[in-house]
Amino acid sequence: MLGRVALTLAAVMLAACGGGADLAGPDAGSSGGGNTSGASKGATPAGEAPTELRLAIGGEDEQGYDPTLGWGRYGAPLFQSTLLRRDAELDIVNDLATGYEVSEDGLTYTVTIRDGVTFTDGEPLTADDVAYTFNTAAEEGGLTDVTVLDEAVAVDDTTVELRLSEPQSTFVNRLITLGIVPEHAHGRDYGRNPVGSGPYVLERWDEGQQLIVTRNPDYYGEQPAFERLVFQFTDEDGNLAAARAGEVQIAVVPPALAVEQVPGMRLLAVESVDNRGILFPFQPDNGETDDDGNPIGNDVTSDLAIRQAINYAIDRQALVDGILEGHGSPATGPVDGLPWYEPESAIDGADPERAAQILADGGWEDADGDKILDKDGVRAAFTILYPADDSVRQGLALAAADMILPLGIEVTLEGASFDQIEPLMHSTPVVFGWGSHDQTEMYNLYHSSLAGTGFYNAGYFADQQVDSYLDMAMGATDLEEANAFWRAAQLDDDGNGFTTKGDAGWAWLVNLDHLYFVDECLDVGSPQVEPHGHGYPITAGIASWQWAC
Amino acid sequence: MAVGLLAGRAGRLALLLVGVAVACFALMELSPVDPIDAYVGAEVTRIGPEQRALIAERFGLDEPPLVRFGLWAGRLLRGDLGTSTIYNAPVIGVIAQRFVASLALLATAWALSGLLGFGLGILAAVKRGSPVDRAIRWWAYTLASAPTFWVALLLLTTFSVTLGWTPVCCATPVGIDPADATLWQRLHHLLLPAATLSLVGIAPITLHTREQAIEILRSDFVTFARAQGEHGRGLVRHRLLRNVAVPALLLQFASLSELFGGAVLAEAVFNYPGLGQSTVQAGLRGDVPLLLGIALFTTLFVFAGNTLGDVVHGIVDPRVGSLHRGARP
Repeated sequence: MLGRVALTLAAVMLAACGGGADLAGPDAGSSGGGNTSGASKGATPAGEAPTELRLAIGGEDEQGYDPTLGWGRYGAPLFQSTLLRRDAELDIVNDLATGYEVSEDGLTYTVTIRDGVTFTDGEPLTADDVAYTFNTAAEEGGLTDVTVLDEAVAVDDTTVELRLSEPQSTFVNRLITLGIVPEHAHGRDYGRNPVGSGPYVLERWDEGQQLIVTRNPDYYGEQPAFERLVFQFTDEDGNLAAARAGEVQIAVVPPALAVEQVPGMRLLAVESVDNRGILFPFQPDNGETDDDGNPIGNDVTSDLAIRQAINYAIDRQALVDGILEGHGSPATGPVDGLPWYEPESAIDGADPERAAQILADGGWEDADGDKILDKDGVRAAFTILYPADDSVRQGLALAAADMILPLGIEVTLEGASFDQIEPLMHSTPVVFGWGSHDQTEMYNLYHSSLAGTGFYNAGYFADQQVDSYLDMAMGATDLEEANAFWRAAQLDDDGNGFTTKGDAGWAWLVNLDHLYFVDECLDVGSPQVEPHGHGYPITAGIASWQWAC
Repeated sequence: MAVGLLAGRAGRLALLLVGVAVACFALMELSPVDPIDAYVGAEVTRIGPEQRALIAERFGLDEPPLVRFGLWAGRLLRGDLGTSTIYNAPVIGVIAQRFVASLALLATAWALSGLLGFGLGILAAVKRGSPVDRAIRWWAYTLASAPTFWVALLLLTTFSVTLGWTPVCCATPVGIDPADATLWQRLHHLLLPAATLSLVGIAPITLHTREQAIEILRSDFVTFARAQGEHGRGLVRHRLLRNVAVPALLLQFASLSELFGGAVLAEAVFNYPGLGQSTVQAGLRGDVPLLLGIALFTTLFVFAGNTLGDVVHGIVDPRVGSLHRGARP
């Protein structure tokens, strides 16, 4: 193990100060304040790896580090361990669990867990703790939705049964994200004093400033290479300044700052499903409203030809090059690059001629000579809303509007806040961004039964065939089987589905790359395709990061 | 008599607190910010209606507004400010923790702007019409019209980002226990936020002091002193300082509210983990218990400042104290 020395915390700091194994910044105790370690890197003797890693990638959970409230919903929970986890290819592997089975009816998950695992307070981790964690999370009003759980019951010390109220194949994601908490040490202030069985232990958390964690010597998995991790919570400019000053070994940066050069660091672009796309209202405007009286439907975008033509006309590679400075990829659906993605749903590049043909076939023509198409007295014109404080979405909307105009479709752009967008989103196209490792999101975006439920299926998309595929995927007991249905919902063999060649419910535009400045010596392995949320998700594989100099 | 004075003050304070609480709560109710949406954020496609109901229950949002206000007020009377929805911790603890961080900042800025502002004001008044006076006035007018966050950004860009002299974040160096931070390190991190607040706070004190000093310099007793041959520093020290100090002190104590408002902005820019930053978060994310708690706390803080100002006023200027006493039977 690199530089593995069993030291007390104080000694770690001393070693970091005097021993030359130095990234920590020289002297915690003496002069210089924050930006200390600028000159230190050259002093690192070849072959000796640092014991401390500093990260400016966010990762603060203001409500505390309590998994039952949602901590760890992406990225590593660090302090706790999960039953399962996703590896770099997003395949599911055992972690705390030694295996699990789903009953025929999909209602019961029987999970066996490792024997002999202890929490960092020395108490053993048993099936009771697992059952407690799931039961607590199900009742807690936090950021992880475990409401489908009826009850969790410990059958014996190493077996736990998770009983659901209805089949839900995506429940496996709860086994992946929910860190196990100790029943005996879990209470209201747990989030500030987390006790778990994960690779790291909380050393201190200065709210709004920094989080310091140290290696858990009793961790059952492989010991991480770094003794100590220091997360600093700065904004984008602060992250970059810290990287420049050599204060951090990894820093998250927005695309606009990625053009900067930072000596000793390389730019790492991690693929993501952090997507951006235009939501189309799917229903015609029949004067209907939702429960809050907000209008539903749009007579232009309810026309399939319009939605498909827009999808074909947009040059997504140009959006990536122009708006994202090349740091992204064209998007075809909401789940690009994930194991349940259907590659056939992709369209090859932009094809404005085909788009024009689709519109002509669909009955759209410029009857009054104003260069904007009409059909049955409806003019092909609508507004696209985007969140006003998001320059990327604004840029995408502007560029997309320019690409659509030559077809004879007139787009007006309007920036707004989410509070303003919400009442309009059933009747006006909106630039949204999603992206998750949880298939539930796809279900929620397209299932007709969820039309108008909060931000779910805001366009009132409705297709019986898609509904049935989504339902079958949700009800499947085998993950491969589920994935097959998830793929079919995107595009099946008959050409049905919610993507461009089917109903084209959205015009998905791009997937962002998540950008990081990473020390040339730091090997972060091959990171997962990241979900929405730029920064902390890169820690998913943090336990296997290595120093490579 | 003093008891009556105290009771009067306490009554006014109680009324003030009630008013602030009601106004604050009403504003939050009218705000378009949905606390649950703000809390859920990007999880919005994975949090179902049932889970939202659980969240609403935990936040206590499942009751109608009036009931919620009643419950909140009832708990307040028992000394419980409630639980912050953002931080999932008792409001009182959140405020205490953040206010300690803000206190150093506020105290430094308050002292600096008071002393500098007073000095510059006197200087400008004594040198009235001279280039010095004009320079000081120009400086004060510029700063008085400069928004705090803009000054903060300017300083941050210049000294932290471009020159790299000062840190870009936090109250102590990253990576160490704040308790181990040396005094120098603390000052180093405090420097820019305090400078911002002082710079912006100087202007009103300077201008008021100058006006006041000019008036006193025109007064009969100064003319008389001048006629007796007193001039220069002696005149300033014996005739001017104490007379100008009174309004300046009152102003200085009254400026606590503006100072706090400025701190909210400066802390946000400098990533300084004080009460100001929490206030912004509480507002943006609809954390009603925390925002109400902070509002009440700041009311107390400002009220205490003003009361202190009155007390000090009475000490510095004995006429005021006797007036008060004389006015009350």
